[in-house]
Amino acid sequence: MKTLEEAKQAVIEDFSMYDEWLDKYEYLIDLGKNLEEYPEEQKTEDKLIKGCQSRVWLDSKVEDGRLFFKADSDAIITKGIISLLISVYSGREQKEIAEDDFGFIGEIGLKENLSPTRANGLVSMIERIKELAQESISQEPAEEVLTAEDAKELAPLYDNVIMAIKQVYDPEIPVNVYDLGLIYELVINKKHEVSIKMTFTAPTCPMADEVLAEVKKSVADVPGITGCEVELTFEPPWDQSMLSEEARIELGMD
Amino acid sequence: MTINDIRDMFPALRQQVYSRPLVYFDNAATSQRLEKAIMRMDGLALGANANIHRAVHKLASDATEEYESTRDAVRDFLNAGSREEIIFTSGTTASINLVAYSFGETFISEGDEIIVSEEEHHSNIVPWQLLCERKKAVLKVLGIDDEGHLKVEDLKTLITPRTKLVAVAQVSNVLGIVNPVKEIVTICHSMGCPVLVDGAQGIVHVGADVRDLDCDFYAFSGHKLYAATGTGVLYGKKKWLEQMVPFMGGGEMIGTVKFTGTTYAPLPGKFEAGTQNINAVPTLKDALNFMSMIINDDELQRELGEVDEYMYTTLSRIKGPNEVRLFGVPRGTEGKIPLYSFVVEGAHHEDIALILDKMGIAVRSGQMCAEPLMDRFGVTGMVRISLAPFNTMAEAEYFIKSLEKAVAMLV
Repeated sequence: MKTLEEAKQAVIEDFSMYDEWLDKYEYLIDLGKNLEEYPEEQKTEDKLIKGCQSRVWLDSKVEDGRLFFKADSDAIITKGIISLLISVYSGREQKEIAEDDFGFIGEIGLKENLSPTRANGLVSMIERIKELAQESISQEPAEEVLTAEDAKELAPLYDNVIMAIKQVYDPEIPVNVYDLGLIYELVINKKHEVSIKMTFTAPTCPMADEVLAEVKKSVADVPGITGCEVELTFEPPWDQSMLSEEARIELGMD
Repeated sequence: MTINDIRDMFPALRQQVYSRPLVYFDNAATSQRLEKAIMRMDGLALGANANIHRAVHKLASDATEEYESTRDAVRDFLNAGSREEIIFTSGTTASINLVAYSFGETFISEGDEIIVSEEEHHSNIVPWQLLCERKKAVLKVLGIDDEGHLKVEDLKTLITPRTKLVAVAQVSNVLGIVNPVKEIVTICHSMGCPVLVDGAQGIVHVGADVRDLDCDFYAFSGHKLYAATGTGVLYGKKKWLEQMVPFMGGGEMIGTVKFTGTTYAPLPGKFEAGTQNINAVPTLKDALNFMSMIINDDELQRELGEVDEYMYTTLSRIKGPNEVRLFGVPRGTEGKIPLYSFVVEGAHHEDIALILDKMGIAVRSGQMCAEPLMDRFGVTGMVRISLAPFNTMAEAEYFIKSLEKAVAMLV
């Protein structure tokens, strides 16, 4: 496989073979026509790139530490442009893509010669490629390995953090959010940063923001804790079976 | 006069793009500007550049004369009842927003209804949606048939005692068909409902006699009419304008200002708050003079008719695997302005526009600010060519050849 620099040079050379822009378009059209087929069922809203006049879908997957792209567009010149980007970037390491400046696009004069809407589309495509590369890096499982000592050290912190969460009450039900079963996930890492995934009894809770902030503050105030991130999720949706024993008694359900 | 004589009046047409003579077919978005209009605007900036109405000095009085004589010219052109019924705005969008706000604040309450048609430009949809949101009113839609004709008869069932206004285009910016505005107004008035006409496209090719149409409001822009950008007109019947609350507060629109309360200026000042586009508005005079001149020139009209006829018949005859599908098919004696929106089977509208651009031809592609209409026809966009009186037969023929070449490249 060519290096990233070699791949860019190849595109610049290909492009410079044509003096006339119509011929360059012809080249892009050919690229577009020869782009590997994109599965119809992947043409979903979340794969659409925002900011293009024509529709462009871009999908990616990681294999052996490398990022591979697939794309399609209903306009053939746009398809040629995304095909060109894919030919340069697909199959490279995520970090290399995320850190590239995409400056060679300027060298072939593509951006300047597109209509403003399409130039914006090109910028959006580049941004999306970088975003996907960035996302795939941060999603890499950075699972911590805890030693027995680590576990021993963290155990009392878990107790204290749970105590802190129990100080936060649901605005409508006189039971704290922990016993209500709203906390789906609670992790403390070696740096003593807490990450929490929690839900609400209903997705329309008007006090949601306040409650999240309260949980975050309450946990962050626990001595020894260095930070706290709270993520809201409605998957799975909450139901009464998630109530703790204490909560059931409190609500007179048992 | 010939088309070539007309061309001489538009300096922008002398330029080349990508070393090819410019063929400008995007006149429905913004047309080119008359040299006279450019000169007048420059002259005003260089000379009579002073704020109107307020001061007593010479420059102010010259500027005021230029501005106010434009109001008279517009009144004459539209055949409005009085000059107080002519409000200057920054364009059609501003005119419609003015009515949506001021008429809305005055006459619309919860549960009232506004009707727009399915073929409206976003400018004649969104201001009404904003009003409806504000007032908890209901926006209803008058449909069109498959050939792009308004279902005018449906109005009779669509209008209810709660309907407070019907807003409709004289000519759709996508379909180009001249709507039967007079008939629409008659139906609406018989049911006690006023009518706003979006004349952005209509004024350019059909003109408007607002007293004959009997519409309650009529809006248009200068930049589609060979005048400067940032100019526009709202015509409104006095009986409405007088009752409506002001749109914007500021200088010029007041009678007296006290902290205990302010009174408003009489029409038209009440709706012209702040410093107006004083260098640009007078270019409307040149535009309207030009319009009056070409409308009455039979020789020119015949030549323009030939270009139009060629374009329409040639486009309609492109069949086969890459058939051209034209939207807005006129029937009977119905008029269609020289504006053609189409899709080509197997080729994306944006690709076509991009290739034509490199051939020196400016066309529009996309949704043309009429997304509901695109949905109505089940397309993501169209190519639109819109002609002006300076577009020649040679340009039309070059366009058809270029279109065929572009399609051949794409499929």
